[in-house]
Amino acid sequence: MLRDVFKSMGGYESYGMISMIIFVVFFVLLLLYTISLKKKDVENFSRMPLDDFSKESDEVQEI
Amino acid sequence: MENQTFYYDNKIVKNFAYATLFWGVVGMVVGLLLALQFIWPSLSFGIPYTTFGRIRPIHTNAIIFAFVGNGMFTGIYYSLQRLCKARMFNDLLSKINFWGWQLIIVSAALTFIFGITTGKEYAELEWPIDILVAVIWIVFGANMIGTIIKRRTSHIYVAIWFYIATFVTIAVLHVTNSLAIPVGLFKSYPIYAGVQDALVQWWYGHNAVAFFLTTPFLGLMYYFLPKAANRPIYSYKLSIVHFWALIFLYIWAGPHHLLYSALPNWAQSLGVVFSVMLIAPSWGGMVNGLLTLRGAWDRVREDPVLKFMVVAVTAYGMSTFEGPMMSTKTVNAISHFTDWTVGHAHIGALGWNGFLTFAVLYYLIPRIFQTQLFSKKMANLHFWIGTLGIIFYAVPLYWGAITQASMWKEFNEAGFLKYPNFLETVTQLKPMYAARAVGGALYITGIVLGIYNLVMTVKAGKFLPEEAASAPALVKTEAKRGSGEGIHRWLERRPVQFTIIALLVVLIGGLIEIVPLYLIKTNIPTIASVKPYTPLELQGRDIYVREGCYTCHSQQVRPFRSETERYGEYAKAGEYVYDHPFQWGSKRNGPDLSREGVVGGRQYRPNSWHFNHMENPQRLNEQSIMPVYKWLITDDLDISTTAKKIRVMQTLGVPYPAGYDQIANDELMIQARGIADDLRSQGIQVEPTKEIIAMIAYLQRLGKDVHAAGSPTAAITGK
Repeated sequence: MLRDVFKSMGGYESYGMISMIIFVVFFVLLLLYTISLKKKDVENFSRMPLDDFSKESDEVQEI
Repeated sequence: MENQTFYYDNKIVKNFAYATLFWGVVGMVVGLLLALQFIWPSLSFGIPYTTFGRIRPIHTNAIIFAFVGNGMFTGIYYSLQRLCKARMFNDLLSKINFWGWQLIIVSAALTFIFGITTGKEYAELEWPIDILVAVIWIVFGANMIGTIIKRRTSHIYVAIWFYIATFVTIAVLHVTNSLAIPVGLFKSYPIYAGVQDALVQWWYGHNAVAFFLTTPFLGLMYYFLPKAANRPIYSYKLSIVHFWALIFLYIWAGPHHLLYSALPNWAQSLGVVFSVMLIAPSWGGMVNGLLTLRGAWDRVREDPVLKFMVVAVTAYGMSTFEGPMMSTKTVNAISHFTDWTVGHAHIGALGWNGFLTFAVLYYLIPRIFQTQLFSKKMANLHFWIGTLGIIFYAVPLYWGAITQASMWKEFNEAGFLKYPNFLETVTQLKPMYAARAVGGALYITGIVLGIYNLVMTVKAGKFLPEEAASAPALVKTEAKRGSGEGIHRWLERRPVQFTIIALLVVLIGGLIEIVPLYLIKTNIPTIASVKPYTPLELQGRDIYVREGCYTCHSQQVRPFRSETERYGEYAKAGEYVYDHPFQWGSKRNGPDLSREGVVGGRQYRPNSWHFNHMENPQRLNEQSIMPVYKWLITDDLDISTTAKKIRVMQTLGVPYPAGYDQIANDELMIQARGIADDLRSQGIQVEPTKEIIAMIAYLQRLGKDVHAAGSPTAAITGK
């Protein structure tokens, strides 16, 4: 079945283009996500290694 | 919320740290011995156990899996507990991880010494040890995921994402590349052959670099650099982009190890494009690390931990720029098969992995021993000696690589190769090899200083096996996504789902690369004249694999005039279809051997030459750096395995006739007597039952089939 899928893709030359499209879509979505992050959250996350021994901040703990 | 008190397990961290130091010295001393063998080949001592082909895998595996592997576990076991605000999930699993890993390392060293190897670079372990690796790796993963599940923080910090990607990807790579059918307890044949085997192997090899030497160390960088600099990472948003882009892109780039080879062009192009794109996330990570130190550069002058980190991250930047450059076809034509690759690998191993490992050790050993580092001065001296060592190591090799590649390609005015004798191009490099050995020795001197410093630190301190910490208890919430909660935010608190998504991202590239090679027959055009090896040649090939000949000799003629003039017809995909495993090699310390058996060809030599060459290469040419292989002349060939080997090959699809296993040894002896008779006619007395006969039979077969049909290109049927 997969063989037919590849055939219908018009040969392997299209592979490079398909790969690139997959990556660009993935990358754009990733950028949109990071841009949408709240500044306060990001600051809290980035401080995590520095908060080893201190008591947790007032952020609500959930899992 | 009420605080809970718990204890970090420092004992497991200490154990891994000690193992890192021990195996680091072992791996590097073996490396130095290898470097010296380039100058004095007699340092192989005339015995099998110390020849280049057998100890080179010990060096590479010891550095990658023993030194860097234990260093990685040291850092992960330390940082994971602290980032999760939880003790490791299960102490027993931690212990199994530690002792199991050491058992693997010892088994690897012993088996390689005795020539028990699959013949696939960085994946040389035979199947029983492969199974053990898989089990111990799953133990590590279960322990890690379990710890993340019982954490006391809502968010999973980005360093842990890198650890998760390491776990899942290495598991997939290891299992896929190790699939083999056993012939016995210590011998197996991979299920893949030729081009397929090469692609799977370098998909593995490239991504072992990515997911064993890079991603876990990036995780360590994201934890230990902010800790040592006492400031958060420069940009957390950049680290998110770094993570996803890196794990997505890395997996596609494997074919750049096979440029100009018989691998189909589309796969090569895919590898080049994604390799060049890799610069972006790699440099994003490097910039993120270095800019974390903005405003704190004065501390870099003072603190050896930060010094080591700065050079480590810079080396990461250098090798991740150099790697994509080497992936372009123009540069690859020069760099591949030369010492450039070795120099590149060592910028990564000595600079990135070695220096970051020592930064981590200098950071955490004083802390878990509740003391200060014994001597900052000594650590600074280690830093400078180590840095000089890296430069002395790499620069001569880059110089040597360009020299040798130029000599390989140079023609005289009459249009003939200016240096037709390969050995001339090796002899030219001996000063560079000597300088490289000095660089390596300097680096090891630094390591010895570092170990002394850490031992004195340990002696001065008091070990804290159980380190108390406290954090608020967990509140269990809905597994489902909350209203207003983004998908990624949800993922960041669901470790199992996160692991699955990371796995899927990694698999996309791998599948697109590898699946077509399985499904589409036209990817590997068959050559009508290519036939399976005879039983004697098959046995000889296994000796070739056992002795690690692929560590110095390629079997892959690239389509350059300089190579076809030197060796003969360029490599075709169809000529390797019965090669389990492929033996293309990645470095030419000696010439390519794939046209060795073409009678009348440029590389052809009679049986007697091969016999004399194996017995004492320096007698034929005193400049030769090839080790002696005189035991092949005295050791009997084990023909008790022939029938089983033929049957396994049949299972793998090699078209031996039914029942051939029963007559294989009869045919083997007929061919062996023919070679022994020929040697006798040249005045060499040797019994046909000796290993040398099988080795000669194999070497004399190489390239014969491609040339058998007259014009080899015309013989390709395309089906």
